[in-house]
Amino acid sequence: MRVPFQWLCELAGLSAPVDEVARRLTNAGFEVAAVHHAGEHWERVVVGQVVRIDPHPNADRLNLPTVTTGEAELQVVCGAWNFEMGDKIAFAHSGARLWNAYATEPRLEELKPTKIRGVLSRGMLCSPRELGLGDDHQGILILDPSAPVGRPLIEVLGDPVLEFELKANRPDALSVLGVAREAAALFGTEVHSPIPDPRPSAGALGMTVDLRIHDPALCARYSAAFVTGVSVTESPSWLRTRLEQAGMRPINTIVDATNYVMLELGQPLHAFDWDTIRGGAIGVRPARPGERLTTLDGQDRALTADTLCIVDAEGPVALAGVMGGQTTEVTSATTTVLLESATFDPVSIRRAAQRLTLRSEASRRFEKGLPPELTELALRRCVQLIESIGAGRGEFLSADAWPAPSAPQPVTLAFDRIERLTGLAYDRAEVRRALAALAFTLDDSGGELRVTPPFWRRDVTTPADVVEEVARLLGYDRIPNTLPMGRVTGVMPGEVDPRDDDLRDVMAGLGFCECVTYALTNETRMARLIPPDLLDADPEAPLGGAAAWDELRRSAMNEAGRALAERLLPLHRAPLRLRNHLSSDESTLRLTGLSTMLETLRANRRHADRDLMLFDYQPIFLRREDDLPDEPILLTAVLGARLSSGRWDETRTVDLHVVRGIVDELLTRAGVDPLAMGCQNVRHPTFAPGQAAGVTRADRLLAAYGQIAPQVAAAFDLDEPAWALLVDVEAVRAFDTDTAQFQPWSDYPAARRDLAVVVDADTPQADVLDTIHRAGRPLLASVRLFDEYRGEQIPPNKRSLAYTLSYAAPNRTLTDKEADRSHNKVTRALQHRLGAELRGPSGHGDTQ
Amino acid sequence: MNTRIDELLAAAQAELAQANSDGELEAWRVAHLGRRSSLTLALRSIGQLPPEQRRAMGQAANAARRTLEADLDARRQTLRRRTAHAHVDVTMPGYPVRLGRLHPLTLTLRDIRRVFAPLGFRAVSGPEVEWDRYNFELLNIPAHHPARDMWDTFHVQQDARPGDLLLRTHTSPVQARVMEQVPPPVRVIVPGKVYRYENRDASHEAEFMQVEGLAVDERITMADLRGTLTYFVRAMFGPDRDLRIRASYFPFTEPSAEAEMSCHACNGSGCPVCGGSGWIEILGAGMVHPKVLADVGYDPDTYQGFAFGMGVERIAMLKYGVTDIRSFYRNDLRFLRQFG
Ligand SMILES: [Zn+2]
Repeated sequence: MRVPFQWLCELAGLSAPVDEVARRLTNAGFEVAAVHHAGEHWERVVVGQVVRIDPHPNADRLNLPTVTTGEAELQVVCGAWNFEMGDKIAFAHSGARLWNAYATEPRLEELKPTKIRGVLSRGMLCSPRELGLGDDHQGILILDPSAPVGRPLIEVLGDPVLEFELKANRPDALSVLGVAREAAALFGTEVHSPIPDPRPSAGALGMTVDLRIHDPALCARYSAAFVTGVSVTESPSWLRTRLEQAGMRPINTIVDATNYVMLELGQPLHAFDWDTIRGGAIGVRPARPGERLTTLDGQDRALTADTLCIVDAEGPVALAGVMGGQTTEVTSATTTVLLESATFDPVSIRRAAQRLTLRSEASRRFEKGLPPELTELALRRCVQLIESIGAGRGEFLSADAWPAPSAPQPVTLAFDRIERLTGLAYDRAEVRRALAALAFTLDDSGGELRVTPPFWRRDVTTPADVVEEVARLLGYDRIPNTLPMGRVTGVMPGEVDPRDDDLRDVMAGLGFCECVTYALTNETRMARLIPPDLLDADPEAPLGGAAAWDELRRSAMNEAGRALAERLLPLHRAPLRLRNHLSSDESTLRLTGLSTMLETLRANRRHADRDLMLFDYQPIFLRREDDLPDEPILLTAVLGARLSSGRWDETRTVDLHVVRGIVDELLTRAGVDPLAMGCQNVRHPTFAPGQAAGVTRADRLLAAYGQIAPQVAAAFDLDEPAWALLVDVEAVRAFDTDTAQFQPWSDYPAARRDLAVVVDADTPQADVLDTIHRAGRPLLASVRLFDEYRGEQIPPNKRSLAYTLSYAAPNRTLTDKEADRSHNKVTRALQHRLGAELRGPSGHGDTQ
Repeated sequence: MNTRIDELLAAAQAELAQANSDGELEAWRVAHLGRRSSLTLALRSIGQLPPEQRRAMGQAANAARRTLEADLDARRQTLRRRTAHAHVDVTMPGYPVRLGRLHPLTLTLRDIRRVFAPLGFRAVSGPEVEWDRYNFELLNIPAHHPARDMWDTFHVQQDARPGDLLLRTHTSPVQARVMEQVPPPVRVIVPGKVYRYENRDASHEAEFMQVEGLAVDERITMADLRGTLTYFVRAMFGPDRDLRIRASYFPFTEPSAEAEMSCHACNGSGCPVCGGSGWIEILGAGMVHPKVLADVGYDPDTYQGFAFGMGVERIAMLKYGVTDIRSFYRNDLRFLRQFG
């Protein structure tokens, strides 16, 4: 809300500098977002007068006013039409700094002489927005006729305006008087209320209105006042200036007076042309089926039963608290006005305004819950204002319906409650003073504090509210700094698993950079993970739908591939979609982080040709029936085609074994026993055939990795092979062996034996290794693969695997004989169980 | 025969002068002093000589052997000295070794957790897709309350609706979730992702991280809140930081406060970082609203406490001098590699 400083000072009886006022109000919770020094940029803006208006030769929408500044006559090009010959206007010379009226972020720009459609413009006629006087940019600012031509504008209009950040809890803060009350309490001054004392006037004009509130829950109070002999003209300049400073556009005397009072007191008012009200009656009720109303903005609206209406004897004439109707609008022909001042139900108004997307200054105030006491006061002030500007004569209160008056309830609290909550022992006298300054009445004769808020502070209902009032007014800066004492807490539900940190650290240690990605994506982006020829490109269901997935699972996946799809890449699941979204790219919660990570890989590929190693450690979102979605955390890593390796510029090409090395280290470090891990080929359409694998433990898939299928990589616009690694963190946790247990090793020299085993090409290495382990017990201390060979020296359907084996005993040096005996067991087992042949005595023999 | 020894000696010495590395020295040693060297063979064949020659020959061969051994040592020393002075350019870059990096938001979250852990705050997490009940109602924000305008909300499509599903707009729902499940005392911080239906720009994100704090017991005061936050800004931004609080409004706290820290960039004298004011808004806080306590089953006459919430990106931006919040989510390696 924009509060002109002069207005505030008048009501608060203040004479402090604006910055000081802004600072203390901010500290007390009335946050001043900005102080607009209207005029601080107006060095080259003066009062001008329009002396001639010519048409623009090349553009119908523009005109060419000539303006005198007293010293010179200057022709400008102008797009506004709301002025006439002789009008006084704000004229900006070139070089003036004006707010750009079209920029989304407010910014000042220097005005330069420009040709517009072929005609030179030697200055500008300014709109309120260009001058920083509000949002209005519908036309230029017309100054009061008394403004002296040539005078700097700052001398005519300069007055700082405080812009307050709106808070939801204080309806009174949406008024100049409310802010003034607060400022007066802070500065210890006296509030000068603009509300006149009542005068006995009901019926003086000899007119009556029949008021009916159908449901007091929707309208607590409805007050009305007649004004006759109305003259609907232009308001005086002081009034128009204040409205403009506060960001409202002046319209005519009656509307301006109601808006002025709304700004001043916070009570929205509405003026009906009484002669258009049928049957001399006004009622408040929800709309009935089939009722319609053409509102002030010219829209014919069908009304729903939850829309609260103002009706006359025949039907709706206004949307309560939201917008008036066209037929009852005050016009220059109006002679008698009925002023409405009512208290509507905040929820009803808020819903109607949202539904109709008609949120206005008025609805914003009703939404916060206005006190019914205010209706009558606002009418008095408004009638008095109308009379003072000669726009009519009226009654302060002509009719009033207030079915169930209620006063704010007192709040009772023990005095030490203030210290107990704030940690600061206040003096009783200063507490009394603070509450009195805020117009609370206080009775502490019984020891306890019995505090009754003034009618405009219905937000104060609990002891904590009272404590806040005291602490706020006496200053939060007095509250000391202490640390909480107290009892030790137990384990809390949902504690963050410290192993999350460990996994991230391990990934960073393995060379990956962590990404934090958006959870929002869309189905088309995720569907890129499936080659397009496998999914019917149905724009309605880019991820294919259940039938397509049944087929995919049957034809394009093996069992491990289905396990991958189930746990790590659940693209067949119906995703959670948003009801409202910022862009269709971000309309859906992700089922996988992989598509986003491949996009990230692609983005980084533009500037890097190696060491593209990225990971993401965040949840995916899986729909559940009648419950919150499941949000399992997945580790999703991607790799580019090349990693630095060897000398400075050397790289190695990523292949399945490179990724497997990473997976092994990661899972081992995460606590999975490496000897208990199994490994299977994975066939899944996201991955290249034969280039993907899954690591299992006890038949549960812990991780899957492989090369992204070339078609998929192409869909992500990747120009080289990409690799991915997906880890089911929850599954890994299930096999975490908890605290590692120390395993002793032998300090006695080990006997090394090398071994080259020729097996069928399709015999898994894991089987060879397993055979070695089993047969080598108990003296076999370690086995290491050091070579794989296929080629001329062995038959074509065979391959040779070469291992180094070490044998050792825990308590003595093995003799050669013992080592040989163990080794022979190994070689025999390989021959018998796998039909392996042993390749000639390896050159590495028995070196130590 | 001594002539032969002399020849062997001269040839070996000449060869030794050409040896320039440990490997070559070793090869030379095997060739000239090893078991199959000419000199060794010569010694072994002494037995075939006439007895009168054996002694002289043996002495000559042994002398030659000692000479060569001494020469080898000398040569080794020379080489070692030369290597010490050799031109290894120590300013050459090493061969690449690439550690990864943690995301700056992860690092900042860890820093925050590290500050609060010794004060007894345990880190907990909660769901990102939330019921309206936890995100709003249990935080004293009933349906159609104007305070809902403070959070632009993403709503989730539902078939059935046991309640309204949304993307949580703050980490505060976890306050209610924790208190519903455990009796006081409670001391937690809640890091996590939150969502706002809000257009992005340099200082606004639609997805961002928050850390919520909550401490409830019988006697936890606003002074404790202020002290805890002062401790926090000093731990994060240096011992010279000051913290001030001013009145504010949040539906779930009463009294409510906005906390500002003295600018770490200019020490409070005013600079572009703090917009010239010397102070930087850093978080919102307050004493847990009695209604919030009552709704989770805590007796508000017995228990009280504080809550606070901060934006992690904001802390990270201040700490690392990042000026565009969207940088955290672009995941450009040129950005990520600068931290951690
Ligand atoms: Zn600064």
